[in-house]
Amino acid sequence: MFAYPFLFIAIFFESFVLITLLSKPARAARARMPDAMTPSVAVIVPCWNEAATVGATCDSLLALEYPKEKLEIILVDDGSTDATQQSMARFANHPQVRIITKGNGGKYTALNAGIAATRAELIGCLDADSFVEPDALREILPCFNNPEIVAATSAMSIHKPKSILQHMQNAEYTFGITLRHAFASVNGLYVIPGPFSFYRREIVEKLGGFRYGHQTEDMEMALRIQHAGYGIENSPRARVYTGAPATLAKLVKQRTRWITGFLRNILGEYRGLLFSRRHGVLGMLVLPIAIITIGGSILLFLIVLSRLVRNILVAFEIRIGIPLSYTLVPHGSFDWFYLPVNSYLLLGASALLASFSLIVVGKRISKTSGSLTLELFSYSLLYGLVAPLWLIRATGDVVSGKCRNWRY
Amino acid sequence: MSLVTRNVLLALLITVAIIWTIAYAIHYLNNARITELSAIEDQLSIDTLSLDTQFSLLEAAPCDIAASSTTLISTLADLGTRLSYAENQLGTNNAQVLRLKQQYSLLEIRDYLITKQLAAACGTKPVTVLYFYSNAGDCADCDKAGYALSYLHDTYPMLRVYSFDYNLDLGALKTFITIHKVDATLPAFVINDKKSYGFTSLVDLEKQFPKGALAGATSTKP
Repeated sequence: MFAYPFLFIAIFFESFVLITLLSKPARAARARMPDAMTPSVAVIVPCWNEAATVGATCDSLLALEYPKEKLEIILVDDGSTDATQQSMARFANHPQVRIITKGNGGKYTALNAGIAATRAELIGCLDADSFVEPDALREILPCFNNPEIVAATSAMSIHKPKSILQHMQNAEYTFGITLRHAFASVNGLYVIPGPFSFYRREIVEKLGGFRYGHQTEDMEMALRIQHAGYGIENSPRARVYTGAPATLAKLVKQRTRWITGFLRNILGEYRGLLFSRRHGVLGMLVLPIAIITIGGSILLFLIVLSRLVRNILVAFEIRIGIPLSYTLVPHGSFDWFYLPVNSYLLLGASALLASFSLIVVGKRISKTSGSLTLELFSYSLLYGLVAPLWLIRATGDVVSGKCRNWRY
Repeated sequence: MSLVTRNVLLALLITVAIIWTIAYAIHYLNNARITELSAIEDQLSIDTLSLDTQFSLLEAAPCDIAASSTTLISTLADLGTRLSYAENQLGTNNAQVLRLKQQYSLLEIRDYLITKQLAAACGTKPVTVLYFYSNAGDCADCDKAGYALSYLHDTYPMLRVYSFDYNLDLGALKTFITIHKVDATLPAFVINDKKSYGFTSLVDLEKQFPKGALAGATSTKP
């Protein structure tokens, strides 16, 4: 019985996303084409122990199709203890690249150091484990044709997913492309992810630069932008590929940081956004549903887990003493009469089917290549099992006030 | 009306439409199950008449119809499984389920009686189990006992198991229970007229059977 409201909200949410995608603003955003606009752009790459990937990240930025005199790349070494400096040294004499070295202070301090070092009109951020398509900058810049837009996000995918867990994350990221595209069309974004997001420099400076933001400086900045009444856009064809945790432990750690950051920001400094009519779809719909989803997912998971454990124990108890040759073989006939169909199953299947549709839509609007078979398979098989792990952990951390080291 | 308000209303409309479709699909399926149960009801009526006829024929040629009686037990098992599933899906208080259970129990009693009559007339020694259960939440071991009996029946197809809901409101069943002096301590078993109560294990249940009775009930074990 407890599950019905959450299943209703899940289907409503997905229907809303679908309708919003078909609405005029989203269609107009998809029709937006790269233009001749070439403002000065600086892309900041904050690095902390990124020796293995920063070189390739910088190479992909240098390959961007953009006038070289208008594009500068700022590599910020935030007190790395590995060979990051040596990896950066390769670009020391490159005319487009500037290298800043500072003591370790956290990602937001590295971003602020990069901003302080440039006068470019637009500031971009790119995590040092991410790589961009050559046309990504051209695709994202038209977002700033609207003067009310002060930030823009791109379309993220996992860089060369290998493990089943990474394929699952790739499905989730592709889902994210659809969500970001839909919500950006009604100014409902509350996070500007680290990989290849852009800001108007003067607005970032006016707002006071990046902050600690409970270890989620990108989310805090997005919430601050929304709170100040500015707009955040999205470019679904600005492609960026980012690294993903390969193991469950690392994934849980990363997501725990994201969720605790979200909850601490929303329930703390930015709780005024919740149910705020002034902030439209963000305040009245996106943020409340995000919080309900966290609570609902935990509750549903615990209900399903407890029922599953109880049913397994009962089935085991019933079968004690009966030969395994009988208990392990299914009995009865395949007859429609015994079709185990109930409202939970059908509602859950509808929500999952809608998720699949939105993932496919994400792939199409971002023109991402490759097959989705493994992605959909791993997503439907694993996501419902693993997501509650970080949701429960994060909620526990927020309730108990526990802070964790964010590096994984 | 703003774009967002319009989209929210449309999304609500779609959500309600999906939920209505699901509710309709489940209602349709349950109706189909009830139709199937109606077919079972018809089958039960025919089987009941058939048994009545067998009783009459038995008086003339008792041992020639033994085979036809044994085929009914497998039909009974199938009907029992469907009834049990329908009871789970439609609820224990569903009027049609209750009516079918009453008819089913009557048929079981009749089959039990004809089996006993055939045994007396033809000198056969069928192994019969009367199993009394309750699904009112007052029988902790009934599920275990039911599963063990399913195992025994599947392993020894000639074993004749008759399951009765002890609390079913049916005059004939009440009389049947009184005649066999079965107490309300469930699960209860009457194995070849010998009563036993409670269920601990399959091994203990097997001990309640007459010596060699199971071996003679045609094992399907390799």
